[in-house]
Amino acid sequence: MHKPMNALNTYKTPDRGWRLFIRTMLARAYPRIIGQQREKAWLFFETFLPFLATVGYIYVYRAMQAPEDYIGFVVMGGAMTAFWLNVMWLMASQLYWEKETGNLALYIMAPNSLMAILFGMALGGMLATCTRAAIITILGVWLFNIQFSVSSYAQLFLVFTLTMAALYGLGMLLSSLFLLWGREAWQISNALQEPIYFLSGFYFPVKSFGFPVAMVSSLLPLTLGMDAMRQLVFASGPTLGFLSVEYEIGILLALAVIFLIAAKYWLDFMEKLAIKEGTLTDRRR
Amino acid sequence: MLSTFRRSFIPAAWLGWQIESNWTDPFLFLTFSIVKPVASVLILVFMYHAVSTAGTESPIYSYIYLGNAFYIYVGAVMAGASYSILDDRERYRSLKYIYIAPVNIPVYLFGRAVARFITGTIAVVITLTAGVLFFGVPLNPAGVDWLTFFTALLLGVVCLTCMGIVIGTWTMTIRTEPWFIGDAAAAALYLFSGAIFPITVLPVWLQPLGYVMPMTYWLELLRRAVLGEGAAAFPTLAAWSNAELFGVLTIITIAFAIIAFAAFRFFDRRAREEGMLDAQSNF
Amino acid sequence: MPNSFAIQTESLSRIYKIRGAKKNEPKERVALSDVNLEVPRGEFFGLLGPNGAGKTTLIKILTTLLAPTSGRALVAGYDVARQTHEVRRRINMVSGGESSGYGLLTVRENLWMFGQFYGLDTKTAHARIDELLAVVGLSDRAHTKTSDLSTGLRQKMNIVRGFITDPEVVFLDEPTLGLDVGASRDVRHFVQQWMKDRPGRNILLTTHYMVEAEELCDRVAIINGGKVLACDSPANLKRRLQRDAIFKLEVSPLHNGALTAFGGLPGLRKFTHAPQDGKSELDLILESDEVLAGVITALTSHNATLLNLQKREPTLEDVFVDLVGMSMTEAEKAGA
Repeated sequence: MHKPMNALNTYKTPDRGWRLFIRTMLARAYPRIIGQQREKAWLFFETFLPFLATVGYIYVYRAMQAPEDYIGFVVMGGAMTAFWLNVMWLMASQLYWEKETGNLALYIMAPNSLMAILFGMALGGMLATCTRAAIITILGVWLFNIQFSVSSYAQLFLVFTLTMAALYGLGMLLSSLFLLWGREAWQISNALQEPIYFLSGFYFPVKSFGFPVAMVSSLLPLTLGMDAMRQLVFASGPTLGFLSVEYEIGILLALAVIFLIAAKYWLDFMEKLAIKEGTLTDRRR
Repeated sequence: MLSTFRRSFIPAAWLGWQIESNWTDPFLFLTFSIVKPVASVLILVFMYHAVSTAGTESPIYSYIYLGNAFYIYVGAVMAGASYSILDDRERYRSLKYIYIAPVNIPVYLFGRAVARFITGTIAVVITLTAGVLFFGVPLNPAGVDWLTFFTALLLGVVCLTCMGIVIGTWTMTIRTEPWFIGDAAAAALYLFSGAIFPITVLPVWLQPLGYVMPMTYWLELLRRAVLGEGAAAFPTLAAWSNAELFGVLTIITIAFAIIAFAAFRFFDRRAREEGMLDAQSNF
Repeated sequence: MPNSFAIQTESLSRIYKIRGAKKNEPKERVALSDVNLEVPRGEFFGLLGPNGAGKTTLIKILTTLLAPTSGRALVAGYDVARQTHEVRRRINMVSGGESSGYGLLTVRENLWMFGQFYGLDTKTAHARIDELLAVVGLSDRAHTKTSDLSTGLRQKMNIVRGFITDPEVVFLDEPTLGLDVGASRDVRHFVQQWMKDRPGRNILLTTHYMVEAEELCDRVAIINGGKVLACDSPANLKRRLQRDAIFKLEVSPLHNGALTAFGGLPGLRKFTHAPQDGKSELDLILESDEVLAGVITALTSHNATLLNLQKREPTLEDVFVDLVGMSMTEAEKAGA
């Protein structure tokens, strides 16, 4: 005999606004977090192998007989690549895979924010990202006897936080491309990886670019973020810095605000454009 | 056997090229083909200029530049096998159909590697051209030993393809973040291959790993073919003749071919036992 | 915004641009043309048509995934283009032949996750999950990873996902596609019960299975080539043909000349021809029983042998043939 579906009748009003945002973010982070617990192969591929890649650059500097602080620069750069990869491949380009699997349509159709979904993806990937960054940093410091000379922990924390905020804002801006495009966006992200590493000065001071080029590359949050961190952490950092730490903090703050606000409006715009063009449910292109 | 080889190789090579080349218009394709390898080598160029006062005449500059340029093949061909498996399994959802077709999967991967070799070659040529024109690499095309160059290149690419088959079939058994595996392996091998620094810079206890890597000998042969006398400045394998280098490279290639064969059988069985041929790793 | 209609469309059209079209090829494809529909609250509404008719395009517009080129659509009283957020709070969708969620998560985890996107608190979500899984017979698989489920079970999970948020309007896009007979029956039974338990809610079902439309829907719109050809209850649609006599004949194989001659017979309103192994199947809509004699004479004059003859009641397929002039299968081929 059929029983009426009573559970559908009893509920409290669904969350809206910032509560729904948080709920969505945590829910989207969940598959990532659980997935990483259930299959642990990533521990090797995402931590130990990238550490070896970083060590390769360390020995390049050793072969060139570079000052020891440059070894520290490489370790810092190697650790920060983890965050760039989180933004690009675990967040932005994930929309491509969500489109391919049909989940993107379900996300768009739900009354939540795409930004919450993206934040959730990034949050979920943080375990692997932070593990990677930590392994590279700890092993790099230990094995290569890197010496630190931190001038201000408060400024260091501020720089790191602002860099992450700006970086994730930029990542969300880029993610919107995947709403409209398919494989093109994927290939472009792939092609831009090395240029981003180069322009951000992951392994060398961006002062080497000269002022005009360094200013342009400062639009990438990691450029000034790492430059400021180098100045704060290494003895020779201030002499090799591009701008003063205070200026760089100011620019990073501006970038964070601009990118995050722009991401919100740009994502909405691109979503509407994708709905108009009919590309939200395009597959295998 | 020959018909199986043809049936496996030719459509795979054609398919590989379609996938690599038709994602955008030719102008954008060319632009990105230039931007990516040039940016990659610029990282090393700027690293060098940041700390060195010796200038581009220093042998270590050519060593780094050429090693990085030819190492593009490692990412393209070796990591490419992993990407091919993942493309077929996850993006196009066709791996299961290819698997049940009467094709030889390792030969299929060989075929897919052809397109990667072509795009890799475009990147290598662009990098070398940029090196000669803009970055002061002392490379004279008239002085290149083309026979040694192409022989070494071919042998090395075969070896890379075998290594790629190992990585690619291993990828089939991984569900969590498999997209990073190929690149991570290529990046890690950067350390032991003498690509961007002589392996004598490594700690003594790590150097034997460098001598086991086929890329060490492969890159040495390519540098010698391209630079001629200039390559004598790199002491690591200076005492080895070209013939000895070819000999070692050939032996290691054969060894990797055997390993690839065994690895394929092992990972193939595991993938089928665990139902991974149509898995999706997205989460 | 109170509105007596759950779904309303006014002159709704959607045109796709064809990328990379060559010089002599069409640069546009009309997916929907001037669609006008009104679905009152509480109705189980069906959209019946062959593949490529425009059913999925219409659903995508109504679920805010695609913008119309012209016209207007309202769902639960809200404009799909201008009040997207309000629409999304009140709807859900289930597509056939697709899985949702992540293979690494269990059934319960996937359903919980999607519930969160609609703001459901965890306690309510789990209560609904428990109940709905029991209804579809998946309770014992709640802790199974979805990658370990068969296609049919995954689709049941997908169905539960569509209903867990207790939407006002549920869009089911070919929900039984690829399912076996038993699983299809379970899905149909589930949606029927949901409608009974939730008066005032709506389901819009797209299908190309006649049986499904006849069994489930209060009203059906027949769609082909992007246009709605008729919209009424299945019984009323079939009543259009009640005055006609519908026969199914099996004859020895017919050649094209015979078919051409056949088409001009007086009193033969419509017919479809399906060659089978060693025979031809003819579905005939005749103005009256008396026309049958002429049909058989025509067949005999072309050396065809009558193997079987059956008079039957009109089906929605017959209605489609009457409206379009060909069967759904033929319409799909013509559209391709």
